[in-house]
Amino acid sequence: MSAEPIQALVDVGKGKTTRGVLRVIILALIAGASIASRLFSVIRFESIIHEFDPWFNFRATKYLVANGFYNFWDWFDDRTWHPLGRVTGGTLYPGLMVTSGAIYHALRTLTIPVDIRNVCVLLAPGFSGLTAIAAYLLTNEMTVHNSAGLLAAIFMGIAPGYISRSVAGSYDNEAIAIFLLVFTFYLWIKALKQGSMLWGALCALFYGYMVASWGGYAFITCLLPLHAFVLICMGRYSTRLYVSYTTWYALGTLASMQIPFVGFLPVKTSEHMPALGIFGFLQLLAFLDYVRSAIPSRQFQTFLWLFAGGTFAIGLAGLVVATSAGIIAPWSGRFYSLWDTGYAKIHIPIIASVSEHQPTAWPAFFFDLNMLVYLFPVGVYLCFQKLHDEHVFIIVYAVFGSYFAGVMVRLMLTLTPVVCIAGAIAVSSLLDTYLDARSPKPEEQVAESSEKKAPKSGLKSTDKPLVGIYGLWSKSAVVAAMGVYLLLFVMHCTWVTSNAYSSPSVVLASRMPDGSQHIIDDYREAYQWLRQNTKEDAKVMSWWDYGYQIGGMADRPTLVDNNTWNNTHIATVGKAMSSREEVSYPIMRQHEVDYVLVVFGGLLGYSGDDINKFLWMVRIAEGIWPDEVSERAFFTPRGEYKVDAEATETMKNSLMYKMSYYNFNNLFPPGQAIDRMRQARLPEVGPTLSTMEEAFTSENWIIRIYKVKDLDNLGRDHISAAAFDRGLKKKRAPKKKGPRVLRVD
Amino acid sequence: MMRSPLLSFFAFLFAALCVSAVSTTGNRVLAILDDVAEKAIYSKFLGDLEGRGFQLTFETPKSESLALFKLGERVYDHVIFFPTKTKGLGPNLTPNILVQFLNANGNILQTLSSGVSTPNSLVSFLSEVGIELPVDRTGLVVDHFSYDTSSAADSHDVLLLPPPAPIRSDIKNLFSAGAAKDQVLAFPRGVGAVLGSSENLTPILRAPRTAYSYNPKEQSEVVDDLFAAGQQLSLVSAFQALNSARLVLLGSAELLQDKWFDADVTKPDGTTHKTFNREFAKRLSAWAFQELGVLRVNWIEHRLNEVGGSNETNPGIYRIKNDVKYTISLSEYAYDKWSAFSVPKNDVLQLEFSMLSPFHRLPLKFDESHSSPEASAYSVSFKLPDQHGIFNFKVNYKRPLLSNMEEKNTVSVRHMAHDEWPRSFVISGAWPWIAGIGATVTGWIAFCALWMYSAPPADYKKESKKTQ
Repeated sequence: MSAEPIQALVDVGKGKTTRGVLRVIILALIAGASIASRLFSVIRFESIIHEFDPWFNFRATKYLVANGFYNFWDWFDDRTWHPLGRVTGGTLYPGLMVTSGAIYHALRTLTIPVDIRNVCVLLAPGFSGLTAIAAYLLTNEMTVHNSAGLLAAIFMGIAPGYISRSVAGSYDNEAIAIFLLVFTFYLWIKALKQGSMLWGALCALFYGYMVASWGGYAFITCLLPLHAFVLICMGRYSTRLYVSYTTWYALGTLASMQIPFVGFLPVKTSEHMPALGIFGFLQLLAFLDYVRSAIPSRQFQTFLWLFAGGTFAIGLAGLVVATSAGIIAPWSGRFYSLWDTGYAKIHIPIIASVSEHQPTAWPAFFFDLNMLVYLFPVGVYLCFQKLHDEHVFIIVYAVFGSYFAGVMVRLMLTLTPVVCIAGAIAVSSLLDTYLDARSPKPEEQVAESSEKKAPKSGLKSTDKPLVGIYGLWSKSAVVAAMGVYLLLFVMHCTWVTSNAYSSPSVVLASRMPDGSQHIIDDYREAYQWLRQNTKEDAKVMSWWDYGYQIGGMADRPTLVDNNTWNNTHIATVGKAMSSREEVSYPIMRQHEVDYVLVVFGGLLGYSGDDINKFLWMVRIAEGIWPDEVSERAFFTPRGEYKVDAEATETMKNSLMYKMSYYNFNNLFPPGQAIDRMRQARLPEVGPTLSTMEEAFTSENWIIRIYKVKDLDNLGRDHISAAAFDRGLKKKRAPKKKGPRVLRVD
Repeated sequence: MMRSPLLSFFAFLFAALCVSAVSTTGNRVLAILDDVAEKAIYSKFLGDLEGRGFQLTFETPKSESLALFKLGERVYDHVIFFPTKTKGLGPNLTPNILVQFLNANGNILQTLSSGVSTPNSLVSFLSEVGIELPVDRTGLVVDHFSYDTSSAADSHDVLLLPPPAPIRSDIKNLFSAGAAKDQVLAFPRGVGAVLGSSENLTPILRAPRTAYSYNPKEQSEVVDDLFAAGQQLSLVSAFQALNSARLVLLGSAELLQDKWFDADVTKPDGTTHKTFNREFAKRLSAWAFQELGVLRVNWIEHRLNEVGGSNETNPGIYRIKNDVKYTISLSEYAYDKWSAFSVPKNDVLQLEFSMLSPFHRLPLKFDESHSSPEASAYSVSFKLPDQHGIFNFKVNYKRPLLSNMEEKNTVSVRHMAHDEWPRSFVISGAWPWIAGIGATVTGWIAFCALWMYSAPPADYKKESKKTQ
């Protein structure tokens, strides 16, 4: 049989040091693979920052590198949210920028001349390697098999659910936050297992780093207390739990409060209350533990009941009073939308308008996790079989994570680690069973089991009989099938990464009829135009989606951006976009707007344009000015949203419509103008603009920039001034029957 | 005085330019006449202009070489339209070109005459700025109570008016200051206009309450379709565009003719008066051509007004609740020199500190220490609001007959930096908490010491062995 070479291989792997070296090599390779698979975008396009939020992070990092940490900490950004400005240093999570700044300075000290942009672009892939290692460590805490850890590492490294937020150029908070999440969990498990203050303090330290990096830290803040709570309910309260939890909570909360953006939230908002509550509960339990050892058990019963009832009542009353008095902030809208997916749509259009905040579609799970989706329950089941404290954690995490991933697309990210770990546990236990070349001998098994049975009789899990696979065929068939699945998984991950997640979205790629790649670079063309042709302090108004990009690429002040902190200001822009010119112009004057930028996809059939987002602008504006903006007025009597001749007057007169279709007719023969995005034939006479003039239109008409005209020098209104310029004679006012209008000085 | 060297350099450059040119915007004047020979009847007026340093060019509307712009640049700084009989003014003086001329900072002095119908081009140009002329492009203003009996005994169309006083109490008296009591303004055979409600328009000379306008070509006895009457009829009107380009509409071209300069006129009550026309024509043309009522901002500075604060001039960023001082230096031009501008008695110069809307609107006070005979400084000190953002120091001073002034200096107002708050031990309210921290720390150390140095009970070791 072929047992000889296999045996030889197994023998090689037997030595402890050899295994250790092999593990290190494999881990290094896994880290390398996870970095490499994230480089598609750099190779296909270039080393460029992607999407929207990363542009802000990049800009902030440049500021940090140029001005030092303290200036960054106190940064007042007067180039966004004009004219309100933004206290940027106090309203961001600085972890990401500080990390890349530190890497940059470290490399500089080592005399490696590196560009800060490249540090930023490659930060996410670099940290994904670390995430893989963290996943290895965390999984190792769950099983005795190292193979599970290695499998978890490779799953973590290439699972598309994580890659979606960590390709090269995707310089967002999640880039480092997922590593911190997994590593904090690892340290928590370590601390809990050993009841060690040191590990608890380390856990708090990394928790603090996590808080500094991502708003999703609340996930840890809620998950750890939940884990502790479940353990307590299972009757597993122990001094280990007490030490690790209290260490983590006290130090972690102090650490989190050092971040200006978080500040006093950990003691004020409801999201942080579970952690505080469990902290208090643990103190009570410790106290009870002590009392129990001090007084007789019958008295203890009465004491316990009275004590528990009193504590509960006081706690509840305190919570109610504090909430109603406003000391504890009520639950925020984003939090409500986690429970009721319809909540945001009704109450907070600005949250609902972000595609990331939509509920996840079912195919997305398979798309992002592939075969891990069905291995995941198996892994969770295996955890139930062992059910130590750390397995309870995986179970709690799995339940919690699955729910939130179902509610919000974005939270798929927090589910991915547990799916990878559970999947790895399942696969490794399968492979361990089937890859064992030796056939188990029945008598040996009996002997072994009877031997074990004698001393231990308590725990059920150790009680089960050892089962083994005897037939080599069945072994090889299962192993081969598993191998094929794993291969398919790798192929799927690579395919998804390369096709779905590696587009910078700043640059659009399309295929020519002959199959060659054609790059549509309108965004950068337009931003470059702004940078080179406008004054340095020319204010650009656009919908908030493009705020960060304008700030980052064009370096011009914007009115609103992706940090949607001021709903009213966004609604003001929405109102300006959705109203008539006469209404919009004073708003733009007041906000000192010089240029207006719109995204138009009608020529190219680009779906992410402003006309498609227009209803959100209308809705958000309507939320603040229900009397002046009405969503209903943008729909035809039959309830359709149209841009062609049937469009409503409100629609046709809105600034957004006019700016999108201004001069569009001239591209086509008369009466033939067609919007390719909405497949609509446009009215023969295009819109006219009098308060602004076209300044720039990019190659494929995706970006159109308009300059807001100054006040008319002669004091006329813009419509009559524009009419005069076109050569129309002013009509003499027909004789009025009423009294003369007299001039009073 | 810590003005920026660049500013003073420009001020110097500007001053140097003004020595050569009599007006603040240039000295090239184009006069449009029906016939160049006609200039003889305006010889005194034109002579006065040349005497003040203007270069005159005469053209007829039909002239081929007539052009206000060449290669996109203004060729003339000022234009005078004398009445022309042609119905149109040709392709070189269309309303659009005239509007362009105003937009390019050119000034226009336009005269009308009741005998000559106004060209179409000018009528539509005037209607753009909000001045309406009588229908049929001609009209005649008469007043049966105040006319020159010696020259218009029957037609009553030479109006005698007192030199025009300012229309509001808060503006300077530009046109009648220094006039002798018995001097009158003769307004012969003029056309009245009606002004729209635009703020850019100012009636310099209004018709008396008893005057009215009618169409002399209509032979009916009764005026049935009255164009306008009384004070609504503006005889001399001024328009100032946003860029301070000026347009003056003078209802009677004859007023500028030599024969009415220093003539003797007789009022219906029999008294004889000298005319004020020559001086009025001088002042009117001086205003129109930016020799009068022109304001200049010499420099603006704002700085931190705090002891121990930075001494930087015009910093780009302040902090909330900083004390700042704002100073603006102004000059006013009169004929040939800049002098200190003094705000008229009933008026105030105001500073706005605004973001979206003003947070402060403060009167600027005369600041003698920074003033000189050529320039006066106005300043105000105040505390910035407790609101961060991008603010403007804004002086928006727009008054009739004074050139427009809108000065905006943008500064950012930042929040308190993390190390600018008072330290906790300075705040008396924090003392209990500091004491609490101290108590906790000492208590903990004491407890540790106690724990470390207290020996375990004798049977401790045995007991612990048992439980294990």
